[in-house]
Amino acid sequence: MISLPGASPFEIIAIWTILAIAFFGLAYAMFLRRQVMACDKGTEKMQDVWDGIRVGADAYLKRQLKTIVPLIAVFTVILFLSVYVVPPTDESKLRFAGYSDESLKLIIGIGRAMAFIMGSVFSLMVGQFGMRMAVQANVRVASASRRSFGEALKIAYRAGTITGMLTDGLGLLGGTLIFIIFGVASPDTLLGFGFGGTLLALFMRVGGGIYTKAADVGADLVGKVEAGLPEDDERNAAVIADLVGDNVGDCAGMAADIFESYEVTIVSTLILGVVLYTQTHQLSWIIFPLLVRGIGVLSSIIGTYLVKGNKNDKTNNALKSINKGFYSSAAISIAAFGVLSYFYLGDWRSFFSVVVGILLAVVLDEITKHFTDGTYRPVKEIAKNAKTGSATLLLKGLSYGFEVAVWQTIVIAVTIFSSIMIYHGQPIVYVLYGVAMTGIGMLTLTGNNVAMDAFGPIADNANGIGELSHLDKDARKIMDSLDATGNTTKAITKGVAIGSAVIAAVALFGSFITDVTKVQIQMGFDQTAQLLSTGIRISVPMVFIGLLIGGTIPFLFSSLTINAVTRAASQIVEEVRRQFRIPGIIERTVKPDYQRAVDICTVSAQRELVPLALIAVLSPILIGSFLGVEALGGFLAGVILSGQLLAVFMASSGGAWDNAKKTIEDGLYGGKGSEAHHAAVVGDTVGDPLKDTAGPALNPMIKVINLVSLLAAPVLIAYQKPGQTSIGMIVTGVICLAIIVGAIAYSKNGGFKKIPFEP
Amino acid sequence: MKHIYLSATPEALIASMLPPLEFGDYLSTGTKKQNRGQAIFFEVDLAQIEDLIDMESLNKRCVPHPDGKPKNSVYLSVYRVLEKIPLAALKSLYLTSDNGYTLELKKHTYDASKKTKNHLHLFQELLPVNPLVASDMTPSAFLKRLTDGSISIVLPKLFFVDLKLGGLAANPQKASAEYLPYINVGHLKDCLEVLTGDYEKHMKTVLRVFSGSILYRTIESGFYIGAKDEMYFYPFPTMAELEDTNYEFYRSI
Repeated sequence: MISLPGASPFEIIAIWTILAIAFFGLAYAMFLRRQVMACDKGTEKMQDVWDGIRVGADAYLKRQLKTIVPLIAVFTVILFLSVYVVPPTDESKLRFAGYSDESLKLIIGIGRAMAFIMGSVFSLMVGQFGMRMAVQANVRVASASRRSFGEALKIAYRAGTITGMLTDGLGLLGGTLIFIIFGVASPDTLLGFGFGGTLLALFMRVGGGIYTKAADVGADLVGKVEAGLPEDDERNAAVIADLVGDNVGDCAGMAADIFESYEVTIVSTLILGVVLYTQTHQLSWIIFPLLVRGIGVLSSIIGTYLVKGNKNDKTNNALKSINKGFYSSAAISIAAFGVLSYFYLGDWRSFFSVVVGILLAVVLDEITKHFTDGTYRPVKEIAKNAKTGSATLLLKGLSYGFEVAVWQTIVIAVTIFSSIMIYHGQPIVYVLYGVAMTGIGMLTLTGNNVAMDAFGPIADNANGIGELSHLDKDARKIMDSLDATGNTTKAITKGVAIGSAVIAAVALFGSFITDVTKVQIQMGFDQTAQLLSTGIRISVPMVFIGLLIGGTIPFLFSSLTINAVTRAASQIVEEVRRQFRIPGIIERTVKPDYQRAVDICTVSAQRELVPLALIAVLSPILIGSFLGVEALGGFLAGVILSGQLLAVFMASSGGAWDNAKKTIEDGLYGGKGSEAHHAAVVGDTVGDPLKDTAGPALNPMIKVINLVSLLAAPVLIAYQKPGQTSIGMIVTGVICLAIIVGAIAYSKNGGFKKIPFEP
Repeated sequence: MKHIYLSATPEALIASMLPPLEFGDYLSTGTKKQNRGQAIFFEVDLAQIEDLIDMESLNKRCVPHPDGKPKNSVYLSVYRVLEKIPLAALKSLYLTSDNGYTLELKKHTYDASKKTKNHLHLFQELLPVNPLVASDMTPSAFLKRLTDGSISIVLPKLFFVDLKLGGLAANPQKASAEYLPYINVGHLKDCLEVLTGDYEKHMKTVLRVFSGSILYRTIESGFYIGAKDEMYFYPFPTMAELEDTNYEFYRSI
């Protein structure tokens, strides 16, 4: 089945071993699932509360599926037909030598469409299955907290690991399968795989982000601020929507987001690896990254077993235990990469790139922690500014948010520079490969990262169940401790997600340049006109226009997502107020209608998916059609730069405001109810949609735009000859423009129906 | 079962069929009125004040609703209540957070000879008047001075709480006031400096108008009530003790 000229017996065995590890990761996820499901679900009251969360989560997932499936069908057809617009590459002809042109197109077309479906389904599975697992786990964690800290921690972390292993297993499985079947022709289909995963991640991120913050902001504004009810109070009609939202945003959205980064780094590395393979005939450019990922899966599994609490402790430092698992996995991975490099590659360059990636993850973690953790100076200063009101608190948070964006971008720039140094004197494609390997290294411990992230909503929901079912003090203390740890792990993984998104986008950017050049060679372009020779020249006005417009897209995206949250949160506020007026709700003699708030959030979140996806998918085609392929490169650079800066800024300032509020709630400056607290609540409310909706949505958006550019570039080159005006391209551009304008109008107004102005 | 409560914020004598914890929840979060705000109230021994209230009216009004629900509140008086209630009739003091969790503070007789930790104090008077006052007197001396007629302003009884001053209690000139949550900390420092200067002043008003709520985390030692030489103390637990003994209340403040 494998068609790899020049493969050694070790490499053949390695490929099958990687496939086996992918299945092993999935089997381990199933094993953990059985362990978690075997745990008890606690009292009838706990199960009653949990049932509300479970039903709300199911409703969201079902509705999301209904919105997404037709779009998957449409894109599958488009990807299948794309091969009839631009013929398969020379590598595909080489891989399937002996087939007629028509048969080859059919093979590649089906391959690309199937890869797209596989990417979409895998991403959907990671998000949906991971979220269902988190929902199953939360009540069990709440129940275990009545017995011991250690047991509660173990269930929460292992349930998170299930999603982590799904991410690892499915990501590795998809890339490896495509490589086994298509060999050197895999770049033709890998793009479909990457696009499927990324598009679905965009849906889940945007939908999840809007849902979670609409529910959270709405519930807090009326429940906590207006009515003075505590967090997770049963009288608040939005309380269940809020708990469902934690799963939808931090579990389904984040898992799908990290999955697509994991997937896209494999896609870009394999694309660049195939380019190097065709030049050097060394298969290690392709096998090594896959082996690195395989090692990552195994070391993440080992790390899982190191996360445990002391059985006799009432509360313990869960973060210490989780960090122990993470750093042990990192050490095991680095040692194994070293052995592999020594015995297999006999060359340390790829090893160094991977280690730089792991270091990048650690440094980004530390920067994020420094600027968003309550124990460091920035958050303390933001909290201090709360004493003079919300304006100074907001300004201080903005100031630090801008600063984090600078440091994180510099670290990423240094990382890319390290690739230049590692591959010094080599052609640019080696450097790009080095960057892609950095992404591989950075996401080596995806299993741990996703587990840490999913741990957050599981612990948060367990605490909510504990509050609503009035569990005893000792259990509540355990859940409070786990919840606080979950907030930190969520913030850390957000930093990794953003950093990996940028590295993956830069690697895709590299693939864009090599892929465009390949098509240009096929089309008979002169070497001096090829993109790899010319580069992307921002001194060319068209390219500069592309750069400028690219820079605006993340702002447009953020504007629309924040607007959607504001609109949905207002609806939740009205609904909760309405229900407070129902006799008996405040007295606890009548149960609120939780489902209404769940429905409002679900509908609001799904409504935004299609317009935002259309903007991400069509904007590169619009630019490419009007301005050309080099300007499209400028456009991508603009999207990556402003997307990275904005995403880090929003995630960090939002996180810092959140923790400043928590610091005050822990007793600083008078604690809850003080003037400082009121100011901090304003900061947290402003920061919520920034850090949990708009910021995270930019990660998959950047990559969707990159992948669409990669897919569209050959078409643009084929139909846009230099010096000629193509009517077809102009018509395509105009259609894209009209759809984008319509999508913006739709998103701004929450639909095409005119909403009456209410002063 | 009827309970009589003396509310301090605002002053009122209220009869209720709710036990103290439920009454606190009712006072702070309300029902249909959607009240919001913390509550501070004493439970009063009905037997000791029977001759002060119209028992017939009380027995008529403080009865369950037609649907069987207990009567939440019957206001008996809203004016000069503390003045009339004998100190011996006061039972436990209850503090309710603004989201309905209540802490019970037990009544203790106060040992006036006991030395206080700090030289300077910040007293939030609660009843019958409620300015925020800085003083270099101990709680017992402060109470005595305001109730024994030795100065022109005399109060029949006084209920107040001792608030944290941090480092300012020892050194108002140099200590940092950074972590104090009070409005206009600069003015507070000025007042404390006056007390430590050569002005023969022992009390200085920091704020004339009470905001209506206290930040429970800023309570230094506890609540004091009394007149002249009769004084009772309701010690406030440390945060660690509070976390251990009343976790819900601890989380809500």
